[in-house]
Amino acid sequence: MKIEIQLVQEPIAGKVSLPVLDPAGAWLEFRGVVRDQEMGQKISALEYEAYPEMAEREIRRLLEGISSRHPCLAAKVVHRIGVIPAGEAAIYVGIAASHRGEAIALLAEFMDRLKQDVPIWKRRALPAAAANVSLRVSRSVQPTDSPRRLQKPLSLDEALAEIQARCPLLPAVRASLEESFGRVLRETICASGDFPDHDRSTRDGYAILQNDPSETFRLVDTLHAADWRPRELKAGEAVRIATGASLPCHNLRVVMQENVERVGDRIRVLHRESAMNVRRRGEEMRAGESILQPGTRLNAGTLALLASLGCTQLLVGPRLKVCHFTTGDEVIPSDQTPKPGQVRDSNSILIRSLLQSFAGDVVQRHLPEDFEAAKRMISILNPQPSTFDLVLVSGGASVGEKDFTRPLLESLGFEIVFSQVNVRPGRPLIFAQNGGHIAFGLPGNPLSHFVCFHLFVGNALTKLTGGRPPTFHHGTLAAMLEAEPNPRETLWPARCEEKGGKLELIPLPWNSSGDVTGLPSTTALIRVRANRGSFAAGAEVNFWPVNF
Amino acid sequence: MRVLFFAQLKDATGCDSVELAPPAPWTGDQLWTELLRTFPKLAVHRSQARLARNWEYAPADALFSNADEVALIPPVSGG
Repeated sequence: MKIEIQLVQEPIAGKVSLPVLDPAGAWLEFRGVVRDQEMGQKISALEYEAYPEMAEREIRRLLEGISSRHPCLAAKVVHRIGVIPAGEAAIYVGIAASHRGEAIALLAEFMDRLKQDVPIWKRRALPAAAANVSLRVSRSVQPTDSPRRLQKPLSLDEALAEIQARCPLLPAVRASLEESFGRVLRETICASGDFPDHDRSTRDGYAILQNDPSETFRLVDTLHAADWRPRELKAGEAVRIATGASLPCHNLRVVMQENVERVGDRIRVLHRESAMNVRRRGEEMRAGESILQPGTRLNAGTLALLASLGCTQLLVGPRLKVCHFTTGDEVIPSDQTPKPGQVRDSNSILIRSLLQSFAGDVVQRHLPEDFEAAKRMISILNPQPSTFDLVLVSGGASVGEKDFTRPLLESLGFEIVFSQVNVRPGRPLIFAQNGGHIAFGLPGNPLSHFVCFHLFVGNALTKLTGGRPPTFHHGTLAAMLEAEPNPRETLWPARCEEKGGKLELIPLPWNSSGDVTGLPSTTALIRVRANRGSFAAGAEVNFWPVNF
Repeated sequence: MRVLFFAQLKDATGCDSVELAPPAPWTGDQLWTELLRTFPKLAVHRSQARLARNWEYAPADALFSNADEVALIPPVSGG
């Protein structure tokens, strides 16, 4: 039997597409609809919760089991999760069979078993008067024929691809060198002239013709760094020259002053080094040669190069406006002493610092855990979060973090794109979009924050600003990585060192996602695929660099 | 080992999951003992909640080890 299962957040479409099956003589469709009453009370909606990975497996297992007794051709099950207004469908089941009897029997038994075994729960009823924000949002979404699959956790690669596909490229702007640190270059930079512009000396010494065999020379000029006095040197002539100064003509070499004996305006060369001690004209760059490509992130060295080329007004990605909310009543400012059960906020400074390397300007607020209070606090913010390029919400490490971040983002007009990634740490990552605006809900503990920022937020920032997307690199393990096989893909904190031209990775001890002691030395995240156990020392591994 | 809580069990524990590190694989009883030590409020739910291991209901003699994703499944109410 062909089976299709979806757990969705949006309304189930009025017409659900079914596979076309030739021998199907019966099509049976069922919709379970939320009633406007629950336990005798008028209600406006029911909220459903699911354990998505298991719910899908259980539904499949049930269908396969029942269809062995009541053979059918195809079944499609769509269960909606989240807040479902009264009158809308919570579940859709479509069954195709050769004859109606089998289809009806399968449906009846499936619905009974679903209510016993499939891990989906009615969490709470919303009273008729309290139509809340998440309700309005869910209604504003138009039913579509192919509800987005939200509940199944995405793989790491799928999540990165989704982020790349959804983040817009923000328009480039002109900025001065001083304003450009951390931003992405959006134009090709070509050398305006040869660099260096003349042959220049790399030593304090005496310039002579390259193949002049003389032993003694007559001094004809003295050139300092700023001097420019061209002249053709003849055999037996020398010019006193300073490091960096322009040589007076071509085909010269410079003898270091230590290897010369000088008497008045005469010199005697005691020893000629094999090196010419000259930087030739155009040795580093030729006029017109392209030097920097679009997508380059502008670091200190790159800006110094641009300054030396005279490129002072650059076409670059915009500075990003970021709004960062921390949540969790147990989180206290880092300059206070935690009472039992409280923790100091380390995420604010982590996010602020990480954003600096992306030229992000961040506004940070701590939100109360009470949803209504949080919304009131946000409603008086100026500017409003919806005007920012990026909204980040750091979940509290405790109660209801998922339940909070999701409706919060929805109340800000965001649509949830995905809410789980099959990685650790960082599984409950939320990615949401509102037109050209992007939001992330980050799991609260520090290591998850660190990993999620580098992998996912960094990826989005790179795409928004026009940078080259970061990728996994190759390296060799310097020590054994001891890990139990885990059904989730793991990003293992490590230190990356260069040894003999090769990148070596030293895995760091890691006990829990709340571990902050490893953060200072983490410069790489080793990719450990799902269900893969330990790696021996010397093994080739993929890693994500985190020191950008 | 990650242990997930759903629905009313989430309310009872005050969190949606917990990380445990069994030194050797645990039986269901040993797992419950460990959980009740941390979350005594789970006790009243024990008779009704089922254990799942790696997205399937666990048989009575199942052992739960470090790499497992475990879930406590209270009575369901979907559809």
